[in-house]
Amino acid sequence: MTARTKVMKKPLRTLGDQSYLVELVKGLGLTLKHFFKGTQQMVANSYANPAEDPFAEGIATLEYPEVKRAYPERWRGVHRLTHREDGSPRCVACLCCSTACPAQCIYIKPAEYPAGDKRRGYERFPEEFVIDELRCIFCGYCVEACPCDAIRMDTGMHMTALDNRASFIFDKEKLMSIPSQHGEFKSENPRHEPGDPSHPGIDRLRGH
Amino acid sequence: MPRFKLDDRELPFEKGDTIIRAAHRQGIEIPHYCWHPGLSVAANCRMCLVEIEPPPGRPAMMLDIMHWDEGKRDWVPAKKPKLQPACQQEVSEGMVVRSQSSTHVAEARRSVQEFLLVNHPVDCPICDQAGECKLQDYWMSEGRQPKRMLDEPVHKPKGVVFSETIVYDAERCIACTRCIRVCDELAGDHALDLRERGNRFEVVLAPGRKLDGPYSLMTEHVCPVGALTSSHFRFKARVWTLRGSPGVCSGCATGCNTWVDADPRENRVYRLRPRDNEQVNKYWMCDDGMMTYERQRLGRVSRAYVGRDSARSEAAVEDALKRAATELSKVPKGKLAVVLSAQATCEDNLVLAELARAVEARLYLSARGPWQADRVLRNADANPNRAGAVLVGGDKVGSLQDLVASVAAGDVQGIVGIGADADLDSATLAPLGRVGAVALFLSHDGPLARFATVTVPVCSALEAEGHFVNVKGLAQGFKRAALPREGVLPGWDAAARVGRGLGLELSYRAAREVRAALQARLQPPAKAADTTAAEGASGA
Repeated sequence: MTARTKVMKKPLRTLGDQSYLVELVKGLGLTLKHFFKGTQQMVANSYANPAEDPFAEGIATLEYPEVKRAYPERWRGVHRLTHREDGSPRCVACLCCSTACPAQCIYIKPAEYPAGDKRRGYERFPEEFVIDELRCIFCGYCVEACPCDAIRMDTGMHMTALDNRASFIFDKEKLMSIPSQHGEFKSENPRHEPGDPSHPGIDRLRGH
Repeated sequence: MPRFKLDDRELPFEKGDTIIRAAHRQGIEIPHYCWHPGLSVAANCRMCLVEIEPPPGRPAMMLDIMHWDEGKRDWVPAKKPKLQPACQQEVSEGMVVRSQSSTHVAEARRSVQEFLLVNHPVDCPICDQAGECKLQDYWMSEGRQPKRMLDEPVHKPKGVVFSETIVYDAERCIACTRCIRVCDELAGDHALDLRERGNRFEVVLAPGRKLDGPYSLMTEHVCPVGALTSSHFRFKARVWTLRGSPGVCSGCATGCNTWVDADPRENRVYRLRPRDNEQVNKYWMCDDGMMTYERQRLGRVSRAYVGRDSARSEAAVEDALKRAATELSKVPKGKLAVVLSAQATCEDNLVLAELARAVEARLYLSARGPWQADRVLRNADANPNRAGAVLVGGDKVGSLQDLVASVAAGDVQGIVGIGADADLDSATLAPLGRVGAVALFLSHDGPLARFATVTVPVCSALEAEGHFVNVKGLAQGFKRAALPREGVLPGWDAAARVGRGLGLELSYRAAREVRAALQARLQPPAKAADTTAAEGASGA
């Protein structure tokens, strides 16, 4: 079998290419186009507010950090632990999130409720809940794995730069002190404790 | 040997075997909840139903049923063979059993599985059985269908305290009665029973009783679901993060086979489970034996010390080993005593015994005092390796009492030994304080520890591989379950290093060299059965 060769034509360089002038003007034109892009809105004072509408067109730069672009609703930010009605964490320390975590950045120490608590005996709670935000790759698997809607990444905050590594180790108190981007500490899905009159279980009308 | 046919395989069986036991012998599992190889047959879970073909020339026993016809969108009359519980039906020659290959069996299993899950809370995330639960396993292999019942499940008592160690959750229970049968048949104590019927059943304690006794943890072990949990393990870890390594219980001379479940990330042992061995412990262990894993953490010696009492100070392991050799080299010939331990492995004792032989030292044996024996598993001797220590030490191994007497007579001026256990009280041991050079290799603190002038930390039985010889003379090997602290040596290695420091030819540098030397020693008297290789189906 003989190798087939295809002879390629060398692209010709025209005088315009050779002088670089035309391309220079084209490039500068693009820069100038962007420079004057927002002028019309500036004159009319009709900017779209990027903090309100994250997908607004017509604006290229922001005066960060005074003005921040809002993140989409489902954007994965820094974690938070949601609260129950009584302010305790919803987390039941099942270790599903730390099992699912590909970066192994979640450490949970489960503990039993003290004697006398109505949840003692069949449910546990996290005595320690630590996330190493430096190790975290923000994949959201922990949120997917959580059966209790206890860990969420809906804070709308990205991990801010801090001046020491220890500050990136978020403990339970820190994680519970971060609200969602709407300022909520609870979750939209209400929790019903077993035995509560509101405990829905499942019923024939609504299904699962 | 007679044979029968299970699906497409010809299997041998022994006379009197049930179908499930014959299959279990061959390592084939027929799905089951209530059957356990070590317990009587209850046949109440109906998970092991199989189809048995009629004998030649006889009609099959068929039942009239209504079958849903998807084409007609209606129920139509149909026939179905009468299925038999494999746990109760005896095998006979030439019997043809269909398990995996029968659609009727598959449907029956799916229905049983669905039935058992009707009132189950499905709280797997907070259930400690999750990951080793038969309900989960069989849902994956036999069920795989979402729940169809839309009503609120029946609620029953949760977190019922049966004893300090056992907690019961009636909602998760499937009424297989394994725990009741363990109490009756293993412990001989009818502490548990079942009350009510249908979906209101509940396992209850006898009035005024607690689930105590030496085998209460076995009820938790046989529970195929998360109904019974042990307070030592519950809420501590998830089973999927644990790695089991074959071990041998160090509680007593019976030498029950165990699985040592440790989390490799934390290097912590979380529990022991019985490892099936028909020759030794069958499927069981006693509560005290199950709790011996705590010895990995409690009372550990993890640093080297030189000096005694007020002159005691911490030292590097290397320095302590050198110091031990220096002190022992000053002991006149014939005045050195070597103390083997009935708690240490054969490997550790072997190297120490060789050291003793090389310097013509007399051998003694330290051991723990006796504990409560019974007729099930527990041996009165609370030492796992007395037979092994005597085996490698030879016939002239004296007791600790003899050592104290020799010291009092002035025949001993130096001691090198492993282990700090003693079956004598501290007043009797007091003369040992007169010995000027005492080098001890310790994994745990104990009555002898205070006499040491040099303390060298060594691995515990969970941190090094080794062999124990049980009371019947069976040598059983075990593997390492957790890593020792950095710089901590196995006992044989520390002994060999001290021996080399004394100018002896103890050339052991790897565990396999010691093991080879030990195997040669074990062959004639002990039945050299390395049971670590025989990994039976755990938990059945």
